[in-house]
Amino acid sequence: MLLAVVQTWPEEDGPSDAALMARVLHRDSRALELLYDRYSRLVYSLVLRIAQQPASAEEIVQDVFLQIWRNAKRYQAARGPLGPWLFTVARNRALDFLRLKREKQRRREDPEDFSILPAAVASPDPEGALDQARRGEQVRAQMGSLPEAQRRAIELAFFEGMTHSEISAAMGEPLGTVKSWIRGGLLRLREVLGEGFA
Amino acid sequence: MKECAQLAPLYEEFALGVLEGEERAELEAHLARACDVCTPGVARARGVVAQLAGLAPDAQPPASVKAKILRAATGSPAPTEAQKIPARRAVFPAWAWAAAAALALVTGYAVRQMQVLTSQLADLRRQMRIAENQNRALLDQIEIGRQVAAIVISPASKALKLMPTDTKMPMVVAYLHPQMGVALSAGQMPAVPSARTLQLWSVPKKGQPLSLAIFRPDAQGQVTIIAPVKMPMEEIALLAVTEEPAGGSPQPTSAPAWKAQVN
Repeated sequence: MLLAVVQTWPEEDGPSDAALMARVLHRDSRALELLYDRYSRLVYSLVLRIAQQPASAEEIVQDVFLQIWRNAKRYQAARGPLGPWLFTVARNRALDFLRLKREKQRRREDPEDFSILPAAVASPDPEGALDQARRGEQVRAQMGSLPEAQRRAIELAFFEGMTHSEISAAMGEPLGTVKSWIRGGLLRLREVLGEGFA
Repeated sequence: MKECAQLAPLYEEFALGVLEGEERAELEAHLARACDVCTPGVARARGVVAQLAGLAPDAQPPASVKAKILRAATGSPAPTEAQKIPARRAVFPAWAWAAAAALALVTGYAVRQMQVLTSQLADLRRQMRIAENQNRALLDQIEIGRQVAAIVISPASKALKLMPTDTKMPMVVAYLHPQMGVALSAGQMPAVPSARTLQLWSVPKKGQPLSLAIFRPDAQGQVTIIAPVKMPMEEIALLAVTEEPAGGSPQPTSAPAWKAQVN
């Protein structure tokens, strides 16, 4: 059964992403500010979920948006919309941080307590928070319809940066089963949620 | 190389970062040559995968983040190749994490190397001790050989053949010197049980046998010993070897296994 396609990304009120990126390329800081307002909440939520440390998440978000500012010409609209590119950059940065942190912890040299802060931070923007919460609920609802193990496998991949083999080892499930779960889950996600930025 | 149609089902997995090995390499090869099917396919897949970000609990970055970004942006001139400098970090920047990780790796490597070197040094010391012991044993053998040679070539020495009572046993040769003592040599000697030993006696014409030495053949069945005579040669009736309990006996407890008449 094909469910209704849900748009999980920020609506583009005002100038399009492509138009804003063109302005950023010409050093228009107002365009950067608009992009920040459009995406920072989702980027920060994602990065905080992965890094589990607000101070580091803030730095990563800062880096990501300054990368947009400094390397705007690297973004090629023809290769796809800004959103996935932005989230891919943010996720990769956060996963790099996570791997470094794990390496440190593995060596028992990490003096920091990463468990002291909640994942969510109170929002000063109630309307935005509502939209964000609604979008999250929609994705969670679709993922929630998947069997627990299948959902867990996809979350390990997305938030922990694990490969097929690593997930197989972490879950104690055969590699083929894990591949099947992830492939099936992603195809379902594509069917249900669409491509988001298309 | 696989066709694009074969790779299409893998686009989302590639975007998710779970692909490994051959499948990943195949798709990367298509992207590297700007494949006009796979490149937009993966871009679309990134859109699908990126939506998983919606699973993250909602969180709002502090206002200070935006202020810092805008301050850094407006304070920075248009980017040039020379200006691709990482943004200044407020708390603990990534380069510091990287440096710390590198330092930890180097430290770990250094500690491991030190452990390896320490272990190698301990091995070398053990080998040196073994070599020293072997050297001492060799020097002892040389000294014994020198003394044996001195006794054997001395005109004052008397050559003796200690004949076995068991004819299957080898003969033992002895050279008796009035001052330098007795040199005894044999080969192909049978092994002696660990609870037993061989004992060399000088049996006087009158009185009790006198122990001269306790010995065992080596692993090759060789025996070379030097022992003091302890009594005038002319008073010795015979030399005898008996098998005794380990540690030797004050007096023989068994019949001689080898013996030679001296006087």
